[in-house]
Amino acid sequence: MSVLNLGLLLFSQIALVAGQVFLKKGMNELDATPRRRGRVVGGVALGLLLLTVWFLVWMGLLQKLDISYVFPFQGVGHLLLVFAALFFLRERIGWQTWLGVVLVSTGTALVAMTP
Amino acid sequence: MRRSFPWYLHPTVHLVLNCVLMTVSELLLKKGATEAASIAAPSWLAWTGIMTLGSGWVLVGIAVYILAFVNWLYVLRWVPLSIAYPVTSAVYVLIALGAWLLLGERIIGLRWVGIVLITAGVVFCARPAAAAEEKL
Repeated sequence: MSVLNLGLLLFSQIALVAGQVFLKKGMNELDATPRRRGRVVGGVALGLLLLTVWFLVWMGLLQKLDISYVFPFQGVGHLLLVFAALFFLRERIGWQTWLGVVLVSTGTALVAMTP
Repeated sequence: MRRSFPWYLHPTVHLVLNCVLMTVSELLLKKGATEAASIAAPSWLAWTGIMTLGSGWVLVGIAVYILAFVNWLYVLRWVPLSIAYPVTSAVYVLIALGAWLLLGERIIGLRWVGIVLITAGVVFCARPAAAAEEKL
């Protein structure tokens, strides 16, 4: 796999995670006091923008590369997302979530890599 | 502080709905992407996959994806991201099972192991939410 493709794969996962984090941040603002609608819209808009970036890059990669190369990187995204939720959203992550994400990442890689 | 929901507004119902919508969307997009790969694109654009927008399958897939996205916002309103997002990985299982049942694709032993692992992972990730609900 070329360096460019690897870089795009990693970049896509970062865009995906960042997008989800901003979406969640935006939706969380609905419970905040005082409720600031600007923050809700801003978070969702930024999240949507990042997810659009992810989508375009992801579709491009799926066209060029075998799905068995591309999909295991979703496992990386799952791990990144839990770390991001921990650090940026300050969600409490129990052992079940960690175990679950490890299982999901491993399973995803297996499903993607088998013909 | 969690209020009680009618079933059609319950976050868990919508989380499951999201998995279904995303599965449908992914299948449509994949079908469209493989068709559109034969359309020539200027090389400086090709890496973006933008030529896929010419495929009907992709357009419907995008429509379903938008629907899933709106539903996802509702889910994120009530469910922590570290629970909601891992649960949606059930989509991988649904796609694999869908391809097996609907398209007659064969699933080899190692892939079943992967499916079992993902399912177990989804169960573990969903448990903190289930436990929180039972306390109410």
